[in-house]
Amino acid sequence: MSVRALSGPATDGYGVSVSAWLAHHTPVSTPTLAEADRGHGLLRSLARFGGEGYRVEFTDAPWMLGVRAPDRSRAILVVTVDGELAVAVRDAVPRRMAVIRDARSDDAGEIASACLPWPWMVVGSHVSVAPALARILRERPVLTFWLGAAPDGLPGHARIFDRPAALFAAIRGACEATVGGMRLAPGSGVELGDGTLLRGATLESLVAAYPAGFALPTRSFRAVSEALARHNTGWTAQRDGSTRMTLVPSAPVTRR
Amino acid sequence: MRANPEVLILEDDAETLDELQGHFARKRFHPLGARSAARALSLLEHNRYSSRPVLAIIDWDLGKAPDRSASSGDVLSRLARELRECPVIVYSQNIDAFNVRSQIQRSHPRALLHDKRDGDASLLERIDRMLDRTVGDLRIHDGTVVVHLPTLDQHHHREAIRLVVHHPDIVTFHSDTATKAVRRFGEWLHGHGSAVRLVSHGNRKYRLSVTATEGSAPDPEV
Repeated sequence: MSVRALSGPATDGYGVSVSAWLAHHTPVSTPTLAEADRGHGLLRSLARFGGEGYRVEFTDAPWMLGVRAPDRSRAILVVTVDGELAVAVRDAVPRRMAVIRDARSDDAGEIASACLPWPWMVVGSHVSVAPALARILRERPVLTFWLGAAPDGLPGHARIFDRPAALFAAIRGACEATVGGMRLAPGSGVELGDGTLLRGATLESLVAAYPAGFALPTRSFRAVSEALARHNTGWTAQRDGSTRMTLVPSAPVTRR
Repeated sequence: MRANPEVLILEDDAETLDELQGHFARKRFHPLGARSAARALSLLEHNRYSSRPVLAIIDWDLGKAPDRSASSGDVLSRLARELRECPVIVYSQNIDAFNVRSQIQRSHPRALLHDKRDGDASLLERIDRMLDRTVGDLRIHDGTVVVHLPTLDQHHHREAIRLVVHHPDIVTFHSDTATKAVRRFGEWLHGHGSAVRLVSHGNRKYRLSVTATEGSAPDPEV
């Protein structure tokens, strides 16, 4: 039998109510209020989630880091050994244009998966490419910029830089790219010449990479071509002379 | 309808915390002050269903905190995961050190950084610049009121403030009450013939869009 006492309504100045119930089987280590305070043990119900007495759980576990939180904003994933390049990239990118995600080799795959639908750009230096990240780079139109020697797993359209200044200039150029009046909108999407906002990660990549493109199958770009035609932009996605998919002016539509 | 917006302040120094809380209270915000990260996490938890702070000010170094069981990184990670649209300013004496900046960015990729060595006045000035914004023909006054400049009519609601503070970003609202307030704000803008209009992106996501007009003030740098 277990008994607890609670103060009751103070109708006559003082009041106490007593309730009793059959206790659960007593464990070897009796739960304490301290455990309940952390949301564990038999007394947990006395300290409800979000209520007084309930202490919020926290942890410095790597999976809790904000950089791993799923997000649909345009993202630049920077993979390095120590994060120094990510700090510099953040300074190089115009404000509100993209979120910089600072990754290490061992968590780059997970962080890339949290960039929805995929990272707009991956920047790396002196690290190997994790298999999960390599798969994304192989299958999606991701701008890939690398400082120093290129590791295995980079796609054919990756750009390699030997000086940080050239890398930062290329990143800024991608952020500020304009093609036929189209340009990247802050945060996500592409603004057309008439002010219309088109959302689509593939189109963002094509605009930023122009005049270069992506060594990927044509089917990945069909939806972009359809959207561009629907909005009469005068541009379409097509394979160029180097067999990469890029933006090209579309043939004018003849109306009868 | 009035609803004062909350500001989360994590500062381990009692005197500085008082000063910051006083500053926001004078501007009619509701400051949620904490001297330890554990307390800040608790405040976020307690307010999760009723409100969401429009701004968080986080001291990175919590050496004087009465409770060291959690770190400022824990608070930043929680903000990044659960209150992504809340602007966050992190300040530190060591903000120039790349490893500090890297830790902050990994905890909260969108956090704005401020150098504590520039003094509290510099921080308050930056906060005021962020909160007293002009967007098209709207201006936030004292952080709590949206003023339509041509008519000087006022709209009081924290969700309206949130939209103006975040312009041009999309803001996700998390309750029916909040979305109703946002739609009322949209109707208010329409009724006043404002150059700013409310754009819905579905799934409780909204942003403000400004029709370009001659003489509209550019957004201030923050």
